Amino acid sequence: MAAMESTPVPGMRLYVIVWVALLLIVGAEVALTYAGLPTKTLLYALLTLAVVEAGLGVMYFMHLKYERRTLFWSLIPALIFVFIMMNQFWSDAYRLRSLHQ
Amino acid sequence: MSEPEVSLALGHGAVLEESPFGIESKKLVMWLFIVADAATFGALLFGYGYLRVGSPNWIRPFAFIPTILNGMVMTAVLLTSSLTMLAAVGAAQAGRRGAGVRWLGVTAVLGIVFAALHLREWFNLFAQGWSPSTNPMGGSVLFGGTFFGITGLHLLHVVCGVVAILLVALAFRRGRLDAGHVETTGLYWHFVDLVWMFVFPLVYLMNAR
Repeated sequence: MAAMESTPVPGMRLYVIVWVALLLIVGAEVALTYAGLPTKTLLYALLTLAVVEAGLGVMYFMHLKYERRTLFWSLIPALIFVFIMMNQFWSDAYRLRSLHQ
Repeated sequence: MSEPEVSLALGHGAVLEESPFGIESKKLVMWLFIVADAATFGALLFGYGYLRVGSPNWIRPFAFIPTILNGMVMTAVLLTSSLTMLAAVGAAQAGRRGAGVRWLGVTAVLGIVFAALHLREWFNLFAQGWSPSTNPMGGSVLFGGTFFGITGLHLLHVVCGVVAILLVALAFRRGRLDAGHVETTGLYWHFVDLVWMFVFPLVYLMNAR
């Protein structure tokens, strides 16, 4: 029987670098918020930065980068698919808005 | 008793085949929970977006001081707690039980600080007349419902995480749990942090004045 693999743990130095990067991204988000961008542009910018933060968190803090690929491919595409499917509802939200105006 | 020993004792020979994921069952189960919970938070955030887009009289009530600044401090506290959790996992895996317990304690304290800052903000909003169904500034009353709903569910996760960390720390110190349990608890804690990475920009920054 093959023994269960223990996840190789990167050193604290890498974690601190990722932590600093995450703090900088939060700072960038706040700066963008007060940069006077149009709402839609701001939303896309904040979402992009949040996805980058989530990626760093999942891959490094949660060690998914160091696990077998099968774990990544079993979990992440399904979740992304669910989020993509949720986008079907926007057209109804805009319909609702037009009804109120 | 280790996982293979349990399997042998129960006569489950097939379970002894190598896991396709190469991780312990408890860690895989935590990942499955995280994916399901991520979908839950995703649905809440999509629901919030739906209501916001569908409400022409949506307002942006948050001033930089105190709300956004408080949110920035909360974010920094939560991110730092993820770092201390990583230190706890590293110490536990290296067999430094005492250091692992101490780092778990620091993580729990940071979680409590986050919850305290959150509750202080909530009570400030209540004092201004906000509630899940009232809006003292005029405009859509749905803001309170979505704000308190999403941040409340996240706060519940933080509180549960703090309780779990303290319980695991106690059992780990007594030798009843191993480094794998600390790592699995860490996965949950990082997930709580990760959810906040979406809540802060979408619920706080997108509602900044």
